[in-house]
Amino acid sequence: MQIYLPIAEISINIFLLLAMGGGVGFLSGMFGVGGGFLMTPLLIFVGIPPAVAVATEANQITAASVSGALAHGRRGGIDYKMGGVLIIGGAIGSYFGSMIFTVLKATGQVDLMISLAYVLFLGAIGGMMFVESVRSILRNRRGEQPTPGRRHRTWIDALPFKMRFRTSKMYVSAILPLAIGGLVGVLAAIMGVGGGFIMVPAMIYLLHMPIKVVIGTSLFQITFVTANVTFLHSVNTQTVDVVLALILLIGAVIGAQLGARVGLKLKGEQLRILLAMLVLVVCAKMAVDLVVKPDELYSVTSVEVVH
Amino acid sequence: MGHIFLACLVLLSCLGSLFSTQMAWAERMVTDLSRHTIEIRSQFSGTELLIFGAIEREILQGDGGHGVSIEGMDYDIIVVVQSARHDMIVRRKELVGPIWVNKDFYTLKNVQGYYAVASTRPLRKILSEDNLRILQAGIEYLDIDFIEPISELEDAAYRAGFIRNMKAKKLYNQREGTISILDDILFRAILEFPANMPVGQYQVDVHLIRDGEILLSEESPLEVGKAGIERIIFMFAHEYPSYYGIMAVIVALFAGWLGGFISRKMSE
Repeated sequence: MQIYLPIAEISINIFLLLAMGGGVGFLSGMFGVGGGFLMTPLLIFVGIPPAVAVATEANQITAASVSGALAHGRRGGIDYKMGGVLIIGGAIGSYFGSMIFTVLKATGQVDLMISLAYVLFLGAIGGMMFVESVRSILRNRRGEQPTPGRRHRTWIDALPFKMRFRTSKMYVSAILPLAIGGLVGVLAAIMGVGGGFIMVPAMIYLLHMPIKVVIGTSLFQITFVTANVTFLHSVNTQTVDVVLALILLIGAVIGAQLGARVGLKLKGEQLRILLAMLVLVVCAKMAVDLVVKPDELYSVTSVEVVH
Repeated sequence: MGHIFLACLVLLSCLGSLFSTQMAWAERMVTDLSRHTIEIRSQFSGTELLIFGAIEREILQGDGGHGVSIEGMDYDIIVVVQSARHDMIVRRKELVGPIWVNKDFYTLKNVQGYYAVASTRPLRKILSEDNLRILQAGIEYLDIDFIEPISELEDAAYRAGFIRNMKAKKLYNQREGTISILDDILFRAILEFPANMPVGQYQVDVHLIRDGEILLSEESPLEVGKAGIERIIFMFAHEYPSYYGIMAVIVALFAGWLGGFISRKMSE
């Protein structure tokens, strides 16, 4: 059954969209990640204009992360003060990200920037995850224990504007969470991702936040920042397709349920290595599309009517 | 009975040829579309439009000028459908370092977002190039001009690239020899529209041609618009973008909360 998407302005099979939502939802439930970094490239591969894919995916992530954030909030798994600082960073970042996006869309370079950003970030994150999980598997085989030595003082402790975060029992400079939030905001605006894959490692390894508040706080920030991105893209480029976002969400809700059950049966390292390979495959596909000579060198766009 | 009928027919045709040497004959053409509006709704996946008509070919002229004998099967029909015109940008990818990047671009002044032509025979056999250009009949005769100064070589390359793009999206169609005229009277043309067709006012032109001469041209309007919920969402997004953004966020928050609520109930 075909459905006409009002903003993307294309007709597409609704079952294909539901399956995509379900598939990505399954993987995100299994791995405990947002799935934006998989969904946006998938949407582009099936023919959704890249700008619409990015903006719509931000809208879908708002929906996908709100219930998780609420659940963590009920369990006391959110550091609201830290979340607030991350959101301020995210708001600033997404504002600039959206501006870059709007300018590049007008000059015909937005598709290129989306692909480049994906290749860069997926390559780096996937590579790091892959190496890290292989190492930890090897360590386990040799029977070694990771040495949880005392945290050393680093340049991070030397930064000014220190703030006290009671829930996380931390006293760190506000500059670092602001910068992390800002980077995630930029990525949310130009890549259509929640940015959890950057924020969670940054919270653990850079901020040294307690693990029990990391996921909740990250979801809390993602909900607000992607909501902001949805709003900015709606205003600047009119590229948010609510119909598309809702169809994807239906699939994702069902898929995530099943994925979470399968994920419980797999070991942490195995999961990470699978996820790393998945990320690298998506990265490779986008990289190949950039370097292989396209079949059609010319492209046509309507001149936007300036309001 | 059959013989009497045949005799009458022969008599009539004799009378006809008798008159034709003395009086002028002219054609009349009636055309219509299977519908005058195309509505893009949620299940829209492209559509077809039937353009049909009849040629009435023996009308007595009042002024009694010189007659022309009308041979059978010598009419040609050209149907041209085009959307409203607006500017478009054509970009070309070039290799920058290891990757292909949109580099140079030229702007097309006032071109059709949708264009289709259908005819009884190959266009060049029906009319001269000059006449085809006047009627804007045939993709290669369209007025496709760039705003920026452009060399002849680049003009040809960009124009070809533009046409390839539009053909690939099924927005430009050329279907020569697809119209048949039944009994020299009735004709019909079927044109296809893809789901990504531009909205707005379209113009449908039907031209009646004989011996390289345009005898009659009929113009009908065609309105293409989004309808129903598709229209509401599109208009809302473009007319009130900030309210649309707020609505999109609220819908997402509610749907996400609802989804979480349902899956929690299900897993309990």
